[in-house]
Amino acid sequence: MDIDLTHIAKLSKLKFSEEEKAKLAAELPGIIEYIAKLQEVDTNDIDARAYLTDAVNVFRPDEPVENEEIRKAIIEEFPKKTADALEVPGVFND
Amino acid sequence: MEKFLTVKEIRDAVRDGKMTATEIVEATLADIKARDGEIGAFLEVFSEDALAQAAKIDEMKKKGDALPPLAGVPVAIKDNMLYKGHIASSGSKMLAEYTSVYTATVVERLIAAGAIIIGRTNMDEFAMGSSTETSAFQKTKNPWDKKKVPGGSSGGSAAAVAAGFVPASLGSDTGGSIRQPAALCGIVGMKPTYGRVSRYGLTALSSSLDQIGPFTHTVEDTAIILEVIEGKDIHDATSVDLAETTVGELLTPSFEGLRVGVPSEYFIDGMDEDVRKLVLEAIDVFRKGGAEIIDIHLPLNPYALPTYYIIQPAEASSNLARFDGMRYGTRAPGELEASYVAARGAGFGPEVKRRIMLGSFILSAGYYDAFYKKGLAVRTAIRKELDDAFKKVDIIIGPTSPSVAWNFGERFDDPIAMYLADIFTTAGNIAGIPGISVPCGFAHDLPVGLQLQAKPFDEAIMFRAAAAYQNATTWQKYCPEIV
Repeated sequence: MDIDLTHIAKLSKLKFSEEEKAKLAAELPGIIEYIAKLQEVDTNDIDARAYLTDAVNVFRPDEPVENEEIRKAIIEEFPKKTADALEVPGVFND
Repeated sequence: MEKFLTVKEIRDAVRDGKMTATEIVEATLADIKARDGEIGAFLEVFSEDALAQAAKIDEMKKKGDALPPLAGVPVAIKDNMLYKGHIASSGSKMLAEYTSVYTATVVERLIAAGAIIIGRTNMDEFAMGSSTETSAFQKTKNPWDKKKVPGGSSGGSAAAVAAGFVPASLGSDTGGSIRQPAALCGIVGMKPTYGRVSRYGLTALSSSLDQIGPFTHTVEDTAIILEVIEGKDIHDATSVDLAETTVGELLTPSFEGLRVGVPSEYFIDGMDEDVRKLVLEAIDVFRKGGAEIIDIHLPLNPYALPTYYIIQPAEASSNLARFDGMRYGTRAPGELEASYVAARGAGFGPEVKRRIMLGSFILSAGYYDAFYKKGLAVRTAIRKELDDAFKKVDIIIGPTSPSVAWNFGERFDDPIAMYLADIFTTAGNIAGIPGISVPCGFAHDLPVGLQLQAKPFDEAIMFRAAAAYQNATTWQKYCPEIV
């Protein structure tokens, strides 16, 4: 199977050296061949479900919870900040 | 060697005033300091907080207050569980200095029950691995033979109990990451039914598969810990309300009337012959004890592992998208996209990158239906097959892993050989059913695990059977000789 590693790396927000690419190109097809075994299973009458629990519509009140201590701790983790605001590279340029 | 103290023994000793919590914690910390250099179970020990927690327990005792159910019991937690003010790095450079801003529900419940959180244990990076070798920080050695891996991904938590540092620890199990290392380290390890235990504060690998559970020496201890950590949590919408169960109900060891299913698919070609022999001997213990042994077939079981390697990388690639160095971790220089790519490139190890790539591929246009949707359909079919099986039997029994612990490096460059260590455990996560591994003997001088699985939320019958097996055997009393 042909895998466009450059495209998949872009989707993954990852970059690989030529050496790493060669390793992935050698490994991934084997794994994909292994998971492709599922094509042998007849699933025509089966609903695909992402979760198997019986829970539906688990709601809770949408109420803001003030916790100054946690807010401060989160800000403390920011790698870059201006006062209490998170500083990030520009999202829209020009 | 004399067996290590159990959760129950320590709890009772503190309650009866035979030992103080401080004495226990001091001895535990000294033991870890003296011996863990050889094992590498812990990434960090929380000495100060542990001693403070112990002092609180001793104060309660002194005042004559009623003690909570785990008062004075040291427990280790896997490095992917948040404990406010402490680092939780998930075995990754990406989170090497990440300090938890809140406490995971399971950790909160342990502390409320009087347990002492001793430290955080080594793990495969983001729980991706079966040997704990993908940890960015250190190797954890199998206490039975230091040339061997402890299994994974919760290898540090398993080794911490097997080496006798703590009577109990928590791990997380996404495809076998509690049961498999428990088997390889000769202890009890249990994955609850999906939804029984809150995942709030557990760094997600695969959200529809992950479940937190205990490692202990005995089934009884596992039930005691489970009862503390289980139950509905407003912070995890997949956690469920449980009918009131008590440790007493979970622990009525008996083979009587038990219908035990033995699937032919759990005895595959290529599995270790000595492991097969020990598991068959264990099944004989059930038979002689009065259980009815029923041969069953699970023809879809061989598809559980490939299904797992669709769902898990797909969910992991999505869950790990948040690690980009923007809000925490290390910010890489450059424009937005370049910064993301550089931070992720430096922070993630090779196995994590491999699985993110696999997940992105599975979810990409053109392959989504053929792989991801197909995986979900087979998942549903596997659950249905197990539901049908549990109409005829109470528990399903078999080996936990097809081999004993292997040498460091032996499977490291062969992903599929590594993945095969979980061939009997992934179905449990895919179907969301509970499973427990209990020691059932030694092959090649290394421990072997017996896996028992039950239908969703029927942990009681699983514990009843596993405890009856432990009553009838003595494997849990063997401990590694450690200097």
